[in-house]
Amino acid sequence: MPSSRTERRSPATPARAVAIKRGYKARLRRGDLLETIVYFSVAIVLALFLADGGATYFLNIKDVTTGLGIVTGLVGSDLLLVMLVLAARIPVIDRTFGHDKALALHRKLGKPVLYLILAHMLLLMIGYGIAQGLNPLAEAIDMIVNQQDMSIAFISMGLLILVVVTSLVIVRKKLSYEFWYVVHLLSYAAVLLALPHQFTQGSMFAEGTWARGYWMALYAGALAAITIYRVIIPVASSLRHDLRVSEVVVEAPGVVSITMRGRNLEVLRAQGGQFFNWRFWNARMWWDAHPYSLSAHPDGRSLRITVRDLGAGSSRLLQLTPGTRVSFEGPYGLFTDEARTTTKAVFVGAGIGITPIRALLEGSDLAPHEATVILRGSDDTDVYLWQETYDLCVEKAASLRVLVGHRPRGINTWLSAEAYGKGETLLSLAPQIKESDLYICGPTPWTELVIRDAQRLGLKEHQIHAERFDF
Amino acid sequence: MRAGTAFFAGLGSAAIIAVGWQAGVGTLVSSLPQSQAAASGTTTTAASGTAGTGADEWGNVPTDPLTTPAADAPAAPAAATGGVTNGTFDGAVINTRYGAQQVQVVVAGGKLTDVVVLQTQTADRKSQQISSRANPILREEALTAQSAKIANVSGATYTSQSYMQSLQSALDAAGFTG
Repeated sequence: MPSSRTERRSPATPARAVAIKRGYKARLRRGDLLETIVYFSVAIVLALFLADGGATYFLNIKDVTTGLGIVTGLVGSDLLLVMLVLAARIPVIDRTFGHDKALALHRKLGKPVLYLILAHMLLLMIGYGIAQGLNPLAEAIDMIVNQQDMSIAFISMGLLILVVVTSLVIVRKKLSYEFWYVVHLLSYAAVLLALPHQFTQGSMFAEGTWARGYWMALYAGALAAITIYRVIIPVASSLRHDLRVSEVVVEAPGVVSITMRGRNLEVLRAQGGQFFNWRFWNARMWWDAHPYSLSAHPDGRSLRITVRDLGAGSSRLLQLTPGTRVSFEGPYGLFTDEARTTTKAVFVGAGIGITPIRALLEGSDLAPHEATVILRGSDDTDVYLWQETYDLCVEKAASLRVLVGHRPRGINTWLSAEAYGKGETLLSLAPQIKESDLYICGPTPWTELVIRDAQRLGLKEHQIHAERFDF
Repeated sequence: MRAGTAFFAGLGSAAIIAVGWQAGVGTLVSSLPQSQAAASGTTTTAASGTAGTGADEWGNVPTDPLTTPAADAPAAPAAATGGVTNGTFDGAVINTRYGAQQVQVVVAGGKLTDVVVLQTQTADRKSQQISSRANPILREEALTAQSAKIANVSGATYTSQSYMQSLQSALDAAGFTG
């Protein structure tokens, strides 16, 4: 909590170290609990299948296909719901794993879930086909034409394939974010269209069974979480705080800081290092929301972002006028002081990646001489917010190292050619790094190089916090 | 996830699955071939009209391939009462994904007095369970309604639909209009 943080800001006392440690342990426990719930949800699904006599499918060859088809469908549906929950921006998940890690897991589950549900469809086409004396294709046609809710279930399958394929393609940057977003909304349609056939066709969900109650609770819970955290709370929060653009400042060519004011912003409890999804309500931008990190620790009356002209959406930000209404979803992210595991910290930022670093530095609980800030810019125009950061470093007695200029040719390093030539390393720039938390924000390939060097120095995974600018 | 928790999560998951297995093991055992005979004799649809034929646990009468009548053929026509022929009539065999369904009706005194299941969905154990639950309900409904136009049994769409179709064809054969 921001208020207690100021009170704790004293030289490295054991009490402060204990408090950080305790917060870290609590987060670990929460993480373990949440992960255990996922494992149990799959186990319960299998248990309900077995309790309902599911094992009998595996007594003879003829039924094995059908049995496997049912199991893949059940596990696939369960994990699909886990994916929805991971993307629902539920506060406890964000505060435990961070929004980016939750989404990384969401992405990782995408392909396996698609394969499970494809297997479900194909195995049952074969299994039911055998039982009815039809080839799998004729069986599929029979299902679509004759069976209640099966036609929409097949549509749902098609949508799911579309969603996963577009997501895999977008990773290679071949599709626009907006197109991907619209297609991704179809995944909700896919889940809803698949729902009826599970209850009318799936004997698993026959009335009065435990399975029916369990699955209904799972679906209701997942859909409620999405509705509450992705729709109701953002809308209510935007209306309540009545956020408006108050100031637009050009920091450098193509880089703009936008300050917004609103009512009771302190109740958002936003922290430096977090981001929001912003939507600016003018004629040209209202239809498009973008995620930007705060570039200052919130003071309770205003929020500030600093944005570089990266794409179509960003360049229009330069023309924003004060008074423009702003709606938002957030705050999100665990690139904050809450993620700390020790008392010392090292912050590394490159280019526009300095924004969360600067806000985080401002909001962090740091005793003098416990923090190191390393900033990198490819040339001397690429140094936004450096003056502010310098002032913060003075205030917190943090050491500041700057690396300006191009990187050395042919060498895979995150350092500038100049620093590299002088023999600087992550350890020489930040001598305390081994017992510090490391926060990194910059372009993804550059970030990976910093992480590589940190891991070579022996930093543990929990010490490394990286903010990635992808969606 | 830490190793200790991973261990307990695995152990807990195994325990949950074991409980499920334990709950379902009864079904598993009863569906093994040797115990099938022992499990029979619980039927409620072993009907009066088919005295002499033993029905199994799903009200499923073993049919003799030599004497199985063609669909819609009156099996034992007797006296007619007002367009309705009294006697026993077999319905059409309706094929579904889970197996075939065929019923036989008994018409006496111009009324539908019994519906006997000759074959029902037994493609897998699950279908057997569903059919054995649904068929008695469908029989009661048909006898009450004196018609094949009855409601689906929830969770047993295939059984219900094929039951009604076979029943309708049997009633047609009897010239029964309800």
